[in-house]
Amino acid sequence: MQSFDYARPSSLADASELLVRRGDDAAALAGGTDLIVQMEKGARAPALVVDLKRVADLGDGIERRDGALRIGALACLEDVARDARVREGFPALAEAAGVIGSVQIRNRATLAGNICNASPAADTAPPLLVYGAQVNLFGPRGRRSVPIEEFFLGPGRTALEAGELTESVDLPLPNGPTGSAFCRLARRRGMDLASVNVACRLSAAGELRLAFGAAGPTPILVQDEGEVFLKDEATDALGARLEQMAEATRPISDVRAGEDYRRAMLRVLSRRALNTARRRLPESE
Amino acid sequence: MPEHVGQSVKKSGGRERVTGALQFAADMQMPGLLHAKLVTLDCARARILSIHAAAAEQVEGVHCVLTPADLPRPMPRYGPVEDDRPVLADGETKYYGDPVAVVAAETEQIAAAAAERVRVQHEELPGVYTVEDALAPGAPLVQEPSLRPDSPHRDSNVYNEWHYAWGEAEADEADLVIEETYRFPMQVHFAIEPHVFAAAPDEPDGVVIWSTVQHPFPLRRAVAESLGLPAAKVRVVATEMGGAFGGKGYPKFEPLMAFLALRTGRPVRLALSLAESFLAGRRAAGVVTMRSGFSRDGRFVFNRSRADYLIGAYADITSSIVSKAAYIGCGAYRIPNLEVTARAVFSHTPPATAYRGFGAPQYLWALEAQIDRAARRLGIERLQMRLRNIPDRGEELIPGDTPVDGDWKQGLSLAAEAVGWHEPLPPGHGRGLAIGVKSPRPGAASQALARLHHDGSATLMVGTTEMGQGSKTAFSQIAARALGIPFEKIKVVCGDTGRVPFDAVTASSRSTVCMGNAILAACEEIKRKTAALAADAHGVSADRVSVSDGMVHLPETVLNYAEAICSSYGPGEGEVMGLGEFRLPRDPEHPLGGPAPFWEIIFFATEVDVDRETGQYRLTKLVTVADIGKAINPAAVKGQDEGGSLMSVGQAMMEQFILDERGRPVNLGALDYRIPTTQDIPLRTESLLVENADGPGPFGAKGVGESGATAVAPAIASAVAQATGASFTELPLTAERVWRRLKQQERAPDTSAPD
Repeated sequence: MQSFDYARPSSLADASELLVRRGDDAAALAGGTDLIVQMEKGARAPALVVDLKRVADLGDGIERRDGALRIGALACLEDVARDARVREGFPALAEAAGVIGSVQIRNRATLAGNICNASPAADTAPPLLVYGAQVNLFGPRGRRSVPIEEFFLGPGRTALEAGELTESVDLPLPNGPTGSAFCRLARRRGMDLASVNVACRLSAAGELRLAFGAAGPTPILVQDEGEVFLKDEATDALGARLEQMAEATRPISDVRAGEDYRRAMLRVLSRRALNTARRRLPESE
Repeated sequence: MPEHVGQSVKKSGGRERVTGALQFAADMQMPGLLHAKLVTLDCARARILSIHAAAAEQVEGVHCVLTPADLPRPMPRYGPVEDDRPVLADGETKYYGDPVAVVAAETEQIAAAAAERVRVQHEELPGVYTVEDALAPGAPLVQEPSLRPDSPHRDSNVYNEWHYAWGEAEADEADLVIEETYRFPMQVHFAIEPHVFAAAPDEPDGVVIWSTVQHPFPLRRAVAESLGLPAAKVRVVATEMGGAFGGKGYPKFEPLMAFLALRTGRPVRLALSLAESFLAGRRAAGVVTMRSGFSRDGRFVFNRSRADYLIGAYADITSSIVSKAAYIGCGAYRIPNLEVTARAVFSHTPPATAYRGFGAPQYLWALEAQIDRAARRLGIERLQMRLRNIPDRGEELIPGDTPVDGDWKQGLSLAAEAVGWHEPLPPGHGRGLAIGVKSPRPGAASQALARLHHDGSATLMVGTTEMGQGSKTAFSQIAARALGIPFEKIKVVCGDTGRVPFDAVTASSRSTVCMGNAILAACEEIKRKTAALAADAHGVSADRVSVSDGMVHLPETVLNYAEAICSSYGPGEGEVMGLGEFRLPRDPEHPLGGPAPFWEIIFFATEVDVDRETGQYRLTKLVTVADIGKAINPAAVKGQDEGGSLMSVGQAMMEQFILDERGRPVNLGALDYRIPTTQDIPLRTESLLVENADGPGPFGAKGVGESGATAVAPAIASAVAQATGASFTELPLTAERVWRRLKQQERAPDTSAPD
């Protein structure tokens, strides 16, 4: 690992200013579970590492706020996975956060870091997509909020502008009853990057949101609506609709999986996630 | 006196290992220590045009950049069997990671930064990275013919070829004949402790080496010969290792470190990263084409096979790996007519070396699968099929070699019973069986020095090394029993050629038997000498004195050891030494140099639960039954079987070291070379032991350690085949591979998987 300067600003403004001033030479660090590995491999060699852990106005809490559940930028994945409100209202996110890395990594890695790293395989991205999360940013020009589906631009690329930092992630509370689930496939059962992952949210009205990871340059969100999704039957019609939804994916072949296997598994996982989501729909009167 | 042998005494040093207190080679503090970094190229095979070290030498803190120009000409070469490995790449790199120079600096960081500033002008050359490429007509030669002018294979990429046959080798007809080709990938050892090599000048005119090495004596020879020093001037200290698995057996960068230490006059250490360890040694890939003939009632009629092992650019120990695997081409079965032709094939890939199981897993992957296929075709149940072919105790296994030395049918039946072989299968489940068999290194010697001190405590000095396998503990138990003193009063000094007598290797599951017997002999000598001392001191004839249970029995009195020794040497003085030796017979007529002292055999039974849609499967049960004669320390023996078989679970399910079309690793490091975690291991494991005290080692022991890693993959594949109706020829058996096979099968049903 190349040597680097290290700064530990105490305010968002200072952190942002440092990042603006040093531009591409600087890298922001929260849990560091992606950054340090990339630096160790030589994939990134920032001259300055800006540690955000002591930024006073960045929170690590999870709280109800204006019709949403707000997850602070420094909240670690283990806290997200264990939080009762996340598990209750956003189980796909709890499931995804709970399978990333090991316990040690989850106690260090943050949800905000997982999306800012913008890996196409990021496990928390598909759940955030199906839940319609908003990413709250702080930057040199003040604060703004970006819908998660506009956040990912490509592998390692996000909507963050120079000097912008993720301050929190909002999960809007659903208007009516929904069920949701997360599924993934990896080369081994834990501590691995997803070969593919899928999140699903189904509303009682039959609105289906599916999001796919490791299935293209960015995580992909697709939506559809229909009675067919509410029936617990593996009909051809259902298969065709799911197939249609997966058409937006562009999986590749790499060391983790072949393109055709990924494609087939996206179908299998979509169906499984949908089945689980449907089971989780609250019983209607 | 407590009985030690047969008890699960706690492993010596175990606490230190798990608490981080153990000093590994990378932890050693040495005044003036310099840190080394290898200079390598980003390609496999390349012609080196020039090396410019000036920029690196100017980096502050750099003490030396050693290039081939600083080494004697011709380039010193070494190896356990052939002296074919150059200290630095000699005009041409042969594989990705082959060092062209080395930097020594004040810190690891400085050395790494300087290594990047060594400018190596080179021209990438076409290489061969698979068996097929290496054997293709006109393939580039890996080794210059001038390196082996006397070899009939010098103009090809075949390092050597071995041929074994018995019965009617030409036999080719039977009721059922099955021919198939099986593939086994390159795999890396993945010891949690990467390799560390250190060297320092040793006065006068010598050198001392500290290395994560299993076999310090062969290393001493390699260093001495490379540097032109007498063996007495080279001291090799084998540090306690955090896993080795064969990967730390033979010389690697120690001669290079010795040159560097002598040049700088300072101690120098090269500590590899895990990724660099992948390039320092790996398992030979295997391609085995097997043609098997069976009678209608499921008995082997003949078996003919060609086994090609893909090795690196240097021979290393592969002659033993390939010849030993081919020699026992019958596995654990009675095969009346057999022919095996095996080759070790050079390639431009990282060095192939010993790997737990030696060459057996690659070959047994094919043999066990053939039996399953035949069983299915003949409509014979797989356990019955195997039982019909297993020889009885005392029966010849390989003509002219040691007869079957255990109740192998009993062992296999026990494994089947433990996995619930005859119980109904839950949906989606399958069960499998396989047998692993091999033998320890023949013709080798172990010597042990035992010292009984003035106070009745003892030190054992042995060439065996400790890598976590627990030899120190077993040796203490053996000596405690032999001398009749408490286990706690014994210290074992391991693997330092400057202090301990000769031992061939710590490998092939030989230490408990061979070094154990040497220790017994040393203890007997101590008892004889102590009796004689006491007799002399008390003025009685020696034949009236006996030693038992740690006491010296004289006609008038009984003394403990301390009293006996002091009665001769005076209070607090003297000690009694015993030198024991155990040698396996050497037979120049024998294809391997000598017969097997015992057969190391293990029986595997597995159960899996397969998800047909994804190809994923979970191991629900893994049973091992090892026929080990006598367990000196049952917990340690079971630990070896569990460790070996779990290691093999990874090899069966996910491990493969992949190179790209230019011979560069695709998955260099832990991120993409996957090994199992606790979530991948079987839901239930059971390690059973058969103890009939029928081995040649102390108290009837046979060896243990390797067998657990011999034939897990075929047992797993057999179970997946039963669950899915598809059979497999290539490892690892990833979920994706299972899925592909099932898709293929939808189009063309497989008739060779068990029902």
